[in-house]
Amino acid sequence: MKLKLHTQPEVPFEAESITPGIINKLKLKEIEKLKLFHGNREVNLGDFFSAKDDKKDSLEIEGDMHMVKYLGANMAEGEMHINGDVGAHLGSAMSGGYIKVDGNAGDWIAPEMSGGRLHITGNCGHCVASAYRGASNGVSGGEIIIEGNVKNELGHGMSNSTIVVGGSSGDFTGVNMNSGTILTFGEMGIRTGAGMKRGTIICFKELEILPTFTYDCLYSPVYLKLLFKYLKENTKIKIDKKYIDGNFHRWSGDSVELNRGELLVYYS
Amino acid sequence: MELDKLLKPRKRKVYMKINKTIIDDTYAEAFSMWSAKVIITAESDYWAMGAARAMTGMATSVIGCKCEAGIDLKLSPNETPDGRPGYSILVFTIDKESLGKRLIERIGQCVMTCPTTACYSGFESEETVNVGGALRYFGDGYQISKKIDGKRFWRIPVFDGEFLVSEKFGVKKSVGGGNFYILGNNVTSCLEACYDAVKEMKKVENVIMPFPKGVVRSGSKVGSKYKDLVASTNHAYCPTIRGIVKSSSIPSNVSTCYEIVVDGADEKAVAKAMKVGINAAAREEVIQITAGNFGGKLGQYKFYLKDLI
Repeated sequence: MKLKLHTQPEVPFEAESITPGIINKLKLKEIEKLKLFHGNREVNLGDFFSAKDDKKDSLEIEGDMHMVKYLGANMAEGEMHINGDVGAHLGSAMSGGYIKVDGNAGDWIAPEMSGGRLHITGNCGHCVASAYRGASNGVSGGEIIIEGNVKNELGHGMSNSTIVVGGSSGDFTGVNMNSGTILTFGEMGIRTGAGMKRGTIICFKELEILPTFTYDCLYSPVYLKLLFKYLKENTKIKIDKKYIDGNFHRWSGDSVELNRGELLVYYS
Repeated sequence: MELDKLLKPRKRKVYMKINKTIIDDTYAEAFSMWSAKVIITAESDYWAMGAARAMTGMATSVIGCKCEAGIDLKLSPNETPDGRPGYSILVFTIDKESLGKRLIERIGQCVMTCPTTACYSGFESEETVNVGGALRYFGDGYQISKKIDGKRFWRIPVFDGEFLVSEKFGVKKSVGGGNFYILGNNVTSCLEACYDAVKEMKKVENVIMPFPKGVVRSGSKVGSKYKDLVASTNHAYCPTIRGIVKSSSIPSNVSTCYEIVVDGADEKAVAKAMKVGINAAAREEVIQITAGNFGGKLGQYKFYLKDLI
């Protein structure tokens, strides 16, 4: 099925119903009558999107959707390809399936995600894969690949998930992290890994290490070779051979918490 | 034909010849086993080979070794999961449960202990056994798990860094005990035929020849006159007792017999290995090639030599 945005929303548009699991089971007329919220007003999907049955199993969406929130929310299966920018809460609480965005995404991407794969070729805003305010746990699984940059609080309170950023990430990357992996190829902001319990944060640039982290050693983690190989085969992120064969400084932390987390900083 | 006369008492029909070697009209009887493929990598081929050899040691036959194991193929860096040199190993057992135990023992004692190694599951299968998930406890609480592409790995801290191991290893029903016998009139020429056969069979993927250098001189039969033994020498193929064994399968001009046993991930792999092995072994100095079977009582797989050739 294919959806195309024909009318730009004036206020944030909440598109929770736009998932392959819902759209692909409906007929064209039913799709156009799906109820969504444009601001606080209930509207039909057809008021903003045109639908076309392209006989494909995946759902394709096209247009500048930076005002469209909650695309792919609660998604459990199927594939969704988005051509254009998307708004906040993309993939909210998704548990399976695959979303690919050829464009940029807003803030609060993939909150409460527990499974599936999210691939964004552009940049993202703040609080990607982050726990909601007041919550101690954020994402609990799945895989997020962002080829561009992200802003602050990437992976706040995350568990189990793997997040890869081709560009830079802002302050408090991996703050209060429970487990999982964050890999950022570019610069990282301040206070990386603050309050992390377990998990791994991998950095390729110079990093300001918090004093609550302890230096361990310089070594070459074999598991990174697997991760790099996987990324090379599945993303457009370019990985220099020197990273694959390189050594990393390992720091353990955060000692204000469980102290079982690790920072792996590339040794150039 | 003199040889045909010699074979007459055995009441078997000579089917065909390759390079003057008689190919007996019989079949190899093989049985169902469970197998796992283990990929071992290391910083260099030297260390990967060290771990591979250790892991496949004392694993010739389930009769006395609890498993059968061998090196399947040498892998170049671009064929391994982590881009380092490696080896793929096949391990076979009679049941799935014991396969998991053998993998834990052997990977834990022979691979994890070897410098710079990592160990991965080589089979994509719905059936799995927990290996890394058990070995992780060696990490004493300092182990770390990582999930890549939906697969979980364990990083266990060791003296030179970390031992990386797949949590679960894919296992599948396989075929064990594919075989053929090479009969000649002297040890040297018979061994040369065995050497050439095994050399060609090693090029086939997903098979192992678990005995020393791929060759068995003490081929066995099921059972024994001694009630506690599950297997005993296959006396019908022992030349030294030909005169006193009524059912001897050794022709009068044969003084040596060797068996090549092949275990494979599936029937196709075993058949292919047997085919290339028989073709490589057949030569003027080899009088006959036959195969071991027990009238269909041992296993459900039958590899007819005439179909392989």
